[in-house]
Amino acid sequence: MNERNNETLQQEYAVPEGIQDGKNGNEPNRERVILQMSNIRKSFGDLHVLKNIDLSVRHGEVVSIIGPSGSGKSTLLRCATFLEKIDYGEIIYLDRKATITSHSGKVFYTGKAEMKEIKKYFGLVFQQFNLFPHHSVLHNIMDAPVEVLKRDKKEVEKEARVLLEKMGLADKADSYPCQLSGGQQQRVAIARALAMKPEILFFDEPTSALDPELTIEVLKIIRKLAEENMTMVIVTHEMSFAAGVSNRVIFMDGGVIVEEGPPDKVFGDPKQERTKQFLKSYKE
Amino acid sequence: MSFWTMLTTMADGMLKTILLFALTLIGSIPLGMVVVFLKKSKFKPIAWLTEAYIAVMRGTPLMLQLLVWYFGPYYLFGFSTRGFKFPALLIGFILNYAAYFAEIYRSGIDSMPIGQYEAAEILGYSKFATFMRIILPQVIKRVLPAVTNEVITLVKDTSLASALAYSEVFSLAKQISASQTSFLPFLIAGVFYFIANYVVAWIMKRIEKSMQYYN
Amino acid sequence: MKKLLALGLSVLTVACLFTGCTGAGQVLDGDGMVNEGGTRVFRQGFDLDYPPYSYIDDNGEKGGFDVELAQALCEYKGWTYEAVPFNWDAKDAELNSGNCDCIWSGFTRNGREDDYAWSISYSDNTQMIMVPDGSEINTLEDLTGKIVGVQTATSAYELLNDEEGQKELCDTFKSLEIYDTYTIAFNDLQSGGIDAIAIDVTSGQYLMSTKAGYHFLDEALGSEQYAIGFRKDDTALRDEVNEALQALVDNGTYDEIGKKYPEIYEFLCLKPSEK
Repeated sequence: MNERNNETLQQEYAVPEGIQDGKNGNEPNRERVILQMSNIRKSFGDLHVLKNIDLSVRHGEVVSIIGPSGSGKSTLLRCATFLEKIDYGEIIYLDRKATITSHSGKVFYTGKAEMKEIKKYFGLVFQQFNLFPHHSVLHNIMDAPVEVLKRDKKEVEKEARVLLEKMGLADKADSYPCQLSGGQQQRVAIARALAMKPEILFFDEPTSALDPELTIEVLKIIRKLAEENMTMVIVTHEMSFAAGVSNRVIFMDGGVIVEEGPPDKVFGDPKQERTKQFLKSYKE
Repeated sequence: MSFWTMLTTMADGMLKTILLFALTLIGSIPLGMVVVFLKKSKFKPIAWLTEAYIAVMRGTPLMLQLLVWYFGPYYLFGFSTRGFKFPALLIGFILNYAAYFAEIYRSGIDSMPIGQYEAAEILGYSKFATFMRIILPQVIKRVLPAVTNEVITLVKDTSLASALAYSEVFSLAKQISASQTSFLPFLIAGVFYFIANYVVAWIMKRIEKSMQYYN
Repeated sequence: MKKLLALGLSVLTVACLFTGCTGAGQVLDGDGMVNEGGTRVFRQGFDLDYPPYSYIDDNGEKGGFDVELAQALCEYKGWTYEAVPFNWDAKDAELNSGNCDCIWSGFTRNGREDDYAWSISYSDNTQMIMVPDGSEINTLEDLTGKIVGVQTATSAYELLNDEEGQKELCDTFKSLEIYDTYTIAFNDLQSGGIDAIAIDVTSGQYLMSTKAGYHFLDEALGSEQYAIGFRKDDTALRDEVNEALQALVDNGTYDEIGKKYPEIYEFLCLKPSEK
């Protein structure tokens, strides 16, 4: 199902006219480092899942992370979003240090108040959407900006409706998640993340739970966001999509970054044997 | 004794049954939530103590617990039991039912997918807000059928109050039946319990329905 | 220890609810229950919480004056004795459904004359008011505004609810608390929950023998006789039992068993037949 013709995709993802230009529609500022992760180590028991990973993401960059299951790519995302605690290393968002590793190798996370501020910088779209089933679509999108950011409800609603429009779900505002298809749910989840106006958006295998035809509508949206220079890190199995949408592709295996570079280099002319093997297994 | 006299005599017991039932619910439904938090406390002695409390409440007959609450203060401290009957009943019923409700709530909370917590965490909800806005509303829907069962059991369990000579409807039925050598009072009590539980089931169904706007 | 025992007893009473079923291998013929060997089975229905007539004794066995007398009667008649302890509230259902042959458990015949086929009365009984020593209650009039306890479905309870009995007196009480068992009522009297207990003299004497510091008022509430109640149509069995009872009186067994229960001995009213 991952085998998909690149040209068709390019067509499918053709950017529609009149995309809303929001905050993320700015010209990319590559000087601005949004996320800096250095020397990240993470183990579950004896299993070393991340072995000294470095990852930095600049403004407007779209980074795809590919690799076999168990390679640590999802764990890297979960560490970046603090759903998992790292064992070693440093995570910096813009100029704010989320973690400090002491000389003895112990990791300290910064204080609660600072952490709260740092968390506003990023959003995460889950494989399983994780919408709040008891809230309507609109409520799902509005609740956090209103309750967490304490923003004006009317203003938030206006923005939420614009986002829904952009997701092609304007008529679903009052529906409940259970009434939507998987693809629609995932688009609501993306809108929910965008409503928080993050600097960077993470996607953890956003289409793995979807049927192929529903996958396309979600990928279209991500493509649209890329066109608007939204900074994104996408863990995915959709190779052709990754090739089409990213500025940079990272191939991970066994807890290390094996190869990294522009998509035409990584996909077209991989240097590492492991990368070749992996890509070959996908072509078959 | 005419049927009408029986009915009016037993009406007083029905009121007492309803009073005990209502106050027990008002006390035990929120208390059960407190018990869950204590059980999930990170301070282990409190968690263990709560676990022991739940084990005792569920592991011993409610009637025995009622006797202990009523006579316990006298045997331990020499306090007079004068006027303590209804408070003892309430303490016994509320603490017992809070333990059962706590276990129902706990199973409901434990059944919540981790993704809900993670989504809330990413969106920046505090722990308290996560629980109140995201988890609790869903848990309520999940545990409602089990709570309904427990509430219906409570309606019938109120008859155990006769252990402390509380003249609720079933005690009265026994008394009148014995003195009149008639089975009719039991029939009246049975109809009363049935109607009471029918009303309970109806109300709970309405609440369940009101939550069926999502799956 | 006694307090614990009292609590335990009350719990046991509840347990008795669930016992009292007939054994297997028995059939009903015209004269009643007969077991496989062909001997007649006599099933005594009684309340296990009604000392000293019927109760669980210190060895945990079913005992009491009524139980021993019934056993002696069966031995005399060559019947197989079977104990059917029941919940007092359910006594009529137990009897009418045939689970037992009779209600024999300090059972008052007064006021129920027409409801059962009665045996000859074998014990007198008086209902009394029991109060703690030092109580300010000295007469029945002093009970005005007091809380009085009684066990449900006992003769004292019925006396206090009977228009022709002591209903008028009962109406002067602050309240009449109705307990499932006298043990709980007695506990409540000790712990100050109630001011007095209305109770049969014999049961009261038994309770007072377990704990000092209580006495009866001089004035009795009422008096009555204990007899064995049979199903109204079962006069054949009743007559047989009457005959046997008299025989036990004549051969001294009745007196012998009675002596084991000093608190009721003086109330035993059967006399040897005139020769």
